[in-house]
Amino acid sequence: MNGYIFPFTLAFTALSVVGALLRPASDLVNLALLASVALVSLGRIPTSWRSGLLAVLALTLTLLLRLNPGDKLAFYGLLGVLIACFLLPNLPTLVRVALGTAILFISVPIAGLTNSFLFELGIQIGIFAALALGLNVVVGQAGLLDLGFAAFFAIGAYTWGIFGSPQAAQFIEGFPAGGLPGNYLYLFMALAIITAAITGVLIGLPALRLRGDYLAIVTLGLGEVVRVLANNLDKPLNITNGPQGITPVNRPEVGFLTQFLQAIGAEQVYGKPIDSYITYAFFFYLLVLLVIGVVILVNIRLANSRFGRAWVAIREDEIAAKAMGIPLLPTKLLAFATGAAFSGIMGAIFAAKQTFVSPESFTLQASINILAFVILGGMGSIGGAVVGAAAVTVLNIGLLKDFSDLLNTWRQTGVTILGYNMANLPPQLNPAKYERLVFGLILILMMIFRPEGLIPEQRHRVEMQEARQEAKEGGSK
Amino acid sequence: MSELALDVQGVTKRFGGLVAVSEVSLQVRAKEIFSVIGPNGAGKTTFFNLLTGIYKPDSGRVVFFGQDITGRSPDWVARNGIGRTFQNIRLFKAMTVLENVLVGHHTHTQQSYFDVLLHTPRFHASERKAKARAMELLAYMNLDRRAEELASALSYGEQRRLEIARALALEPRLLFLDEPAAGMNEQETEDLKTRVRRLRDELGLTIVLIEHDMAMVMSISDRIAVLEYGSKIAEGLPHEVRSNPRVIEAYLGKGAAGQAGGTHAPA
Repeated sequence: MNGYIFPFTLAFTALSVVGALLRPASDLVNLALLASVALVSLGRIPTSWRSGLLAVLALTLTLLLRLNPGDKLAFYGLLGVLIACFLLPNLPTLVRVALGTAILFISVPIAGLTNSFLFELGIQIGIFAALALGLNVVVGQAGLLDLGFAAFFAIGAYTWGIFGSPQAAQFIEGFPAGGLPGNYLYLFMALAIITAAITGVLIGLPALRLRGDYLAIVTLGLGEVVRVLANNLDKPLNITNGPQGITPVNRPEVGFLTQFLQAIGAEQVYGKPIDSYITYAFFFYLLVLLVIGVVILVNIRLANSRFGRAWVAIREDEIAAKAMGIPLLPTKLLAFATGAAFSGIMGAIFAAKQTFVSPESFTLQASINILAFVILGGMGSIGGAVVGAAAVTVLNIGLLKDFSDLLNTWRQTGVTILGYNMANLPPQLNPAKYERLVFGLILILMMIFRPEGLIPEQRHRVEMQEARQEAKEGGSK
Repeated sequence: MSELALDVQGVTKRFGGLVAVSEVSLQVRAKEIFSVIGPNGAGKTTFFNLLTGIYKPDSGRVVFFGQDITGRSPDWVARNGIGRTFQNIRLFKAMTVLENVLVGHHTHTQQSYFDVLLHTPRFHASERKAKARAMELLAYMNLDRRAEELASALSYGEQRRLEIARALALEPRLLFLDEPAAGMNEQETEDLKTRVRRLRDELGLTIVLIEHDMAMVMSISDRIAVLEYGSKIAEGLPHEVRSNPRVIEAYLGKGAAGQAGGTHAPA
């Protein structure tokens, strides 16, 4: 059986690629390509062939996207190839880097410049991935359950939101009326790291003296405190503008990017001027990519240092960790501050990207979403945090929306499926209404069938196995 | 008489109405192998926990090489020269054997947060040094060939040895071993005895151990203290303790003491 997988994969991939070249706009061909990506990534085939086939598939999908920028399936295929490069073991580093860079910096922009939704999706994934990576340090590595993580995101967002908008002039006399020019964002990204880290320490100092459930409840409360503060600090001194939020938040100048795009002849290629909306989408896409790259690097470096080892030690056994000379509170605070810093910097970018900051973006729901990314991806695993964020984002603003559009078309055209006229479909069945339900179902299924997450960290897998073993032994007694 | 490594002065610990450790005093000299024995529930482990900072004594003082360490936190005690193992093995089971020892070397791994972020030469140097030291200690405990395996994959005896290697990574001056031979077979115990002696002879460590294996205790210890119901009932050289009537009574029950006819007074 195993012997047939390789030739079958080869044939199937070749067929779908040829199909794509002959009939570029067919959904069937796209689905076949998606299946090929899965087969090539997961099937048992020689590594060199795997690299080659992934490259061919990436190229084909890019071509399809160039021809039809709205082709979502092709985009998901590319995302699949990207995730495969990121996660597959024993793929040569050169292939990994080359393919990943090509997809991120060539394929996505080619399509994104005419369909900014792709950038939007990329930015969204990037921001959530950074948040997930931040929380991953706290919950995944150090084992500290934090239910108020969105607070640090809020701190970062308000750090730039207040000073990069007319808001600061409201309570600081002589401050420039329109706020600081957009280019100060770069400085404020650094400041947001600091303010968020300090908030992390301030929240951590009382909270981290507690353990487990108590810690979770206290962080939940303190996280809410930050949101409630943002909601109410509009009087006596108007610092946050309360529930109305702050707008417009300035964005950096992107003249250099416009010039670059003109220089490489993007306007001729697309046959239309590239407007500032798309340019900004492209800019934030690149900025988020850069930051997420740094965040991943920092995460990996910390995990393989004495700090990362100390965090895992604390997670596994606090008493033994103490007996190894590891001071609990400072080490936990370091994890808290590090995680907070990651979300702080993304907060500042988020504020500039949205040009709007309000307390509504930082509710308990947001904190729980971030935690769900981490759990879904696999606690403690860096790849898991990124994939978890990507999967949920694609599901929420990609797949469910597509499904909703599809249902709408059916409703409007009145197609009959299985004897049921879709025109009678009640509006309650609009997927937007049960997005949470789908999400919840996925989480429940995951917890039943794969509790260690999509891409488990080796250590957590061991812990899970041990727990199961103990449960089994306890049950048989 | 050589330097005092540990000077315990009348430490007492109560849990509610129960006096777990009562007015225990003892002195351990530098480079001595000192055993604490006693029947189950005599308060030996509680006594260890008092000395290593896990519990704070209600009264009494603990002096370590001339420094008062009473009531210090466990991590402070660990950083300042006292390593320990646990009765119910507390390894980081999901980490590799090597990583366990590296955690023990935490304070001696000279890398700051920014060294880690920027991967400075100091980071690489410290990481290399820590790994080399850890491998050396693993080799010392005959575990170097299993460095990359998960700690949970080791056998019981190997896990006990790994706990010792991990404690040694603290570069301590004194090592507390809480029932190091528990669960070991005869050959493993023999091997352990040699290793403990080498720790003292080659590394110059002071070793305090709790042990139930009497053959091991008698052959390895320079001196022995006996606890019963939280109080010290005897202290002395192995042969003195062995023939002490109160000790025999504690272990074998009343009546046994007469037959043994020990005349040595408790220290």
